[in-house]
Amino acid sequence: MNPQEAKEMTSEPPATTRGRFGREQGAATATPVAGPQQAGHRVTVGELNAYYGEQHAIKDLSIDFEPNRVTALIGPSGCGKSTLVRCINRMHEEIPGAYATGKVMVDDTDVYDSRVDVVAVRRAVGMVFQKPNPFPTMSIYDNVAAGLRLRGAKGSHLKERVEASLRGAGLWDEVKDRLAKAGIGLSGGQQQRLCIARTLAAEPEVILMDEPCSALDPIATLKIEELIDELKTKYTIVIVTHNMQQAARVADTTAFMLSGELVEHADTEKMFTNPDDDRTEQYVTGKFG
Amino acid sequence: MPETTRHAFQEELTELESQALAGLDMVVTTLERTMEALQQQDVELALMVVQDDDRIDGRYLEVHQGILSLLARQAPVATDLRLVAALLDVIKHVERMGDQCVNIAKTIPLTGHEPPVVPELLGTLLEMGRHVAAMIEQAKRAFCTRNVELAEDLVSRDDAVNRMHREAFRIALEAGEDVDTREWAMMMLGVGRALERMGDNAVDIGEQTAFIVTGLFREFTDASRPAPVS
Amino acid sequence: MSAVPATTAFAPISGARRRKDQFMRGLLAAGTIVALIPLVLVIYYLLKRGLGAISWHFLSSDPTGNFLGDPGGIKSAIFGTIEMVALASVIAIPVGVGVALYLTEYGKDSRFASAVRYFVDVMTGVPSIVFGLFIYITLILSGNVGTFAGWKGSIALALLMLPIVTRSAEVVLLLVPDHLREAALALGAPRWRVVSRVVLPTALPGLVTGSLLAIARAAGETAPLLFTAAIVNGTTFNLGDRMNSLPLQIFTDVGQAQDRLVARAWGAALTLVMLILLLTLIARFVSRRSRLT
Repeated sequence: MNPQEAKEMTSEPPATTRGRFGREQGAATATPVAGPQQAGHRVTVGELNAYYGEQHAIKDLSIDFEPNRVTALIGPSGCGKSTLVRCINRMHEEIPGAYATGKVMVDDTDVYDSRVDVVAVRRAVGMVFQKPNPFPTMSIYDNVAAGLRLRGAKGSHLKERVEASLRGAGLWDEVKDRLAKAGIGLSGGQQQRLCIARTLAAEPEVILMDEPCSALDPIATLKIEELIDELKTKYTIVIVTHNMQQAARVADTTAFMLSGELVEHADTEKMFTNPDDDRTEQYVTGKFG
Repeated sequence: MPETTRHAFQEELTELESQALAGLDMVVTTLERTMEALQQQDVELALMVVQDDDRIDGRYLEVHQGILSLLARQAPVATDLRLVAALLDVIKHVERMGDQCVNIAKTIPLTGHEPPVVPELLGTLLEMGRHVAAMIEQAKRAFCTRNVELAEDLVSRDDAVNRMHREAFRIALEAGEDVDTREWAMMMLGVGRALERMGDNAVDIGEQTAFIVTGLFREFTDASRPAPVS
Repeated sequence: MSAVPATTAFAPISGARRRKDQFMRGLLAAGTIVALIPLVLVIYYLLKRGLGAISWHFLSSDPTGNFLGDPGGIKSAIFGTIEMVALASVIAIPVGVGVALYLTEYGKDSRFASAVRYFVDVMTGVPSIVFGLFIYITLILSGNVGTFAGWKGSIALALLMLPIVTRSAEVVLLLVPDHLREAALALGAPRWRVVSRVVLPTALPGLVTGSLLAIARAAGETAPLLFTAAIVNGTTFNLGDRMNSLPLQIFTDVGQAQDRLVARAWGAALTLVMLILLLTLIARFVSRRSRLT
């Protein structure tokens, strides 16, 4: 799209709840329980280069994340998969000395465009981290509401949004009677689902997950995998994982990265039965990594 | 630190492959004995073949169990997974071929003490047997070395076997002097069919070789599918 | 001993090691006792000399300044201390926490932030009398803003408290795990909201503790007040006036010939220690509710 269109898109205030990445004025939408968008959102990474100071962590990487699909990123430690997802929601640049060049398009907006507000990007691209991190001073209710309050939302509709998000994360039944209790009083798996609910409350378009199950026991892991399966009907999901069986279970497509480069990206079935690249073959069969 | 990771897994997989391929050796030995019994009309040898089939069945169970265990514990993927799937197929064919030999062996006592022999028919069948034994060995070599060309060559060898089968059929039709002879000829046709089936099994093993290498399963042209008219 | 098996898997503890262990334990216990002796003595003397002087009259009447007759109590000193320290806290705590926030959230490892940290560290080492002198020279001798006053004492105390508050606040803020900040940033919060809604609430108990300890420290300082607040007898609530304070009252009374004045000094000292003890206890109570330390 030409710069003129982009400028128009970013200077106008959002007409619908589908906020774009312009600089938002004041409190967020006052519309009642507006569910997340049903249409899928595509993420396209083009010629991305990411650096930690001198170190060149991601090299000319281009990849497409299909709408309403789960894509898994696999690869040995240090290959850049976490760096890649952090470039998508521009968390990478929060590290001192780290920066990235290239394009990351969410639908038709480049999140690295200079006119784009980084805070707005992060509202549209949510992230779930490896270690569950509910805010310790807040109750379960407040934790989920933080997804909205931290972006300036106020108002009486918070209650419905909180419930919708907790239902979306499969946690409502377990916590509906103790919403005022501390968020950190839950088990590990519940805490992670609380963090997912918090992310859902912010109504993202894309959800990034950085090894979301690494710190959890197998049953909690399976619950979250099932949740991911449900969530993909509404969101586009990218999941970084060390666990190849998890990638095999959960992802529609899988991308294998090595030393900052994308080696192969294909349907999960193909990656695990008949990958094209020899390096992929070596990695998935466990011959190195 | 071992050079490759998953050392134990690789060893286990290699061991399973040798066991399955050794099953093919067992089949060749059994086939040769069966043909010998047929030629000499040796009832005792035939009986031994029938009893020894237990060993082939045992080998089938061993490999089958080994594969289940490997799948459960090691979650093989990509080439390893294709190999495991192929081994399941191969060992099934081994078991079938063993059963075909038993079927052949069982015709021998049935044909009575001194059955009438049509030399031409017998000769053709023995020739078929030799061909099929060679095919099984070739299938084994192709699998071992993952040689797709060698595997595909099995198709033309199978054509030869099928030709001989049709020849045997023709001879049997004309072998009509007396009831005993005709009866014997009919039984021998059963033998021919068993041998023809064994040839098909060998071709199937060749297809598995191609599957492991290419990741695609493709039926070679064989008797069940007429070759396309070019 | 036939009950003991001939070959035990683990060797028993040797006599030499046991003796060495006892010796070291004894040494450490002795050191601890030696360190505690002065503390116990101080408390003992305070109580012995000061307890007798404390009475309702003592706490509720101003020093009269009379040489003979009733010397009065220490009411103005108590109020003076409370007022001046309160103002100093109102100045020093927000500024101190603010500087700490800058250092941990925004400056981080930048050159400027490192310089600020260095200066704060230097300030913690400055003798308290220097702060008093500084205020004396700039605010009293210069003649522009009048003479001794309560608020000038407060400023001197605030200067003293500032580096203490900043240092302890920075430590507490650094204890807030980074992944909480990350989680808030990833939700699309601007940095100031991350600080106000996540970092500060999480660090709050620790910040309160640090502040209370700084207040306790300031309450007991004498030197800064020597040149700034002066010694008066009357209780005043006007910070623009000269103002009394406990440390100064003790300072004045101790040197007097009159026994009753000296006794008043001890009473004042005990009161001051009680006040500081109270603050410290509150600080401990608050810190126990913290989820960080």
